[in-house]
Amino acid sequence: MTLLKALFYFFREAALNMARGWRVSLLAVLTIAVSLFVGGVFLLVSGNLAQVVESWRSEARIVVYMKNAASAEDQARTHDEAAKGPAVTDVKTIDAAAARQHFRELFPSLGDLVEGWSEDPLPPSLEIAFDPTRSDNGAFEAWTARLRALPAVAMVDDDRDWLRQLENLIAVVRGVGLALGAVLLGAAMFTIGSVIRLTAYLYSEEIGILRLVGGTEFYIRGPFYVEGLLQGLVGSMLAVGGLAATFAFVRPQAPSSVLAWIVARAFLPWRVVLFLLVLGAAAGLIGAVMSLRREALGALEE
Amino acid sequence: MIQFFHVGKNFPGGQVGLDDVSFEIARGEMVFITGASGAGKTTLLKLIFREDSPSHGQIVVNGRNVSSLPRGKIPFLRRTIGVVFQDFRLIPRKTVFENVTYLPRILGMEKELQRRLAYETLRRVGLAHRLNAFPPQLSGGEKQRVAIARALINDPEILLADEPTGNLDPDLSREILDLFVDLNLRGTTVLLATHDRVLIERLGRRVLTLERGLLIQDRPRSNLPEAPPLLREVHEVEEVAEEPPNGAVHSDEDQR
Repeated sequence: MTLLKALFYFFREAALNMARGWRVSLLAVLTIAVSLFVGGVFLLVSGNLAQVVESWRSEARIVVYMKNAASAEDQARTHDEAAKGPAVTDVKTIDAAAARQHFRELFPSLGDLVEGWSEDPLPPSLEIAFDPTRSDNGAFEAWTARLRALPAVAMVDDDRDWLRQLENLIAVVRGVGLALGAVLLGAAMFTIGSVIRLTAYLYSEEIGILRLVGGTEFYIRGPFYVEGLLQGLVGSMLAVGGLAATFAFVRPQAPSSVLAWIVARAFLPWRVVLFLLVLGAAAGLIGAVMSLRREALGALEE
Repeated sequence: MIQFFHVGKNFPGGQVGLDDVSFEIARGEMVFITGASGAGKTTLLKLIFREDSPSHGQIVVNGRNVSSLPRGKIPFLRRTIGVVFQDFRLIPRKTVFENVTYLPRILGMEKELQRRLAYETLRRVGLAHRLNAFPPQLSGGEKQRVAIARALINDPEILLADEPTGNLDPDLSREILDLFVDLNLRGTTVLLATHDRVLIERLGRRVLTLERGLLIQDRPRSNLPEAPPLLREVHEVEEVAEEPPNGAVHSDEDQR
């Protein structure tokens, strides 16, 4: 019997076994589907969050707020120092009047807050644009430290600080997701293993008979292994289908919901989808192999 | 074809299955193995197809020393031996067709050929109409015949049958024995374990008699006639006897 025919036989037998014992198979399929769905949701959320952060990073600015009492000379020196930054692409000066105007535009209902003060509540500032790909180095950090130390500078607001915090949060989300996914996947493997072991136990008499009539271990075990693999594959396909359906449901709400806008920017890349499918199939197969190890010992004792 | 050299089998607890049994069966012979319950008939058959291993001695089947056969080669030995088990050993969740064609399937036989072969074999045992039934839907006699069909489908060199007529009514017993005789005439070596003395005497074949694991008699083939006419005589003898032979116990299920 050629390998191709053997595989055809395995798949046919496995499909028959699954159809005849569909309730038990369904349990294994659903367990792996839920595990991969949860893991996939975390991947989807963290992937989209990472995209958001990346887009924000490209728009990140360093804003240098001047002291109200700073002299024009000090302000000019600060501007020169800002322009000398290693990755700086643009330095825009915003005087107190422009800052007030900008505030009114951003918060029209709070416009009165910036009127009637003895001195300007919004100090003049420098808005520094830079190339984010060249900003993570010692020279850039030393330059921001020099800016902070200048006598005319009241405060330096670096967008990268909160972006870093957001990135840490994403890493935590991704880590928790992967850990949870791994635990659930382990549980799924255990369930599939138990299902296969239960099947093997239920059919131990059948396995014994197949041995007696001339079946080799290859042909006896093959259908069980393929059964595990198919259960895993069907489970992962259900998980991917569930993720796609969830994405399709959430995406139209993006214009009105910040959360939807953040998590439903793009679906999982095809490589990740493929990974989930392979992971599901592999989990099913490993579960089946592990569960039949005890059977193997039984065969040795025969 | 089958040689036993001082074969012994001891079971845990000290029970003796076989004790220093030696004999030789030539290719194409039909031999009855008889003895009371627990005499060692089933054990002897099990040793031939390596369902069990001897405690001592050597067993040679078709030139291969079965006692020292590596585990990986046992399935290939079993494929040359058709076995009809006393308790049928059918797979309940597989149809009659699937039970009978297991070996052709794993040997890669074309589906159409499998179907034809299964039909032909089941027709020989009178069960062609039950191709798609599951074993739990069959009577004891039907299960027995499916087990026989499974043993025959691969055209084995050796056929071992453990009480093959034990669950069959007299008519069917005769048909099945006809089948075994026919198979033997075509060259298959047949070993039948039974304690049905009537059948043994009337067929006039070689008889190995066991008692508590010991081979106490090896009676050669007599010159009595054989085959279908003889089987009618068996029927007549049974009718005269007015009671079923030993082992031919019929359950209600058999009447279906």
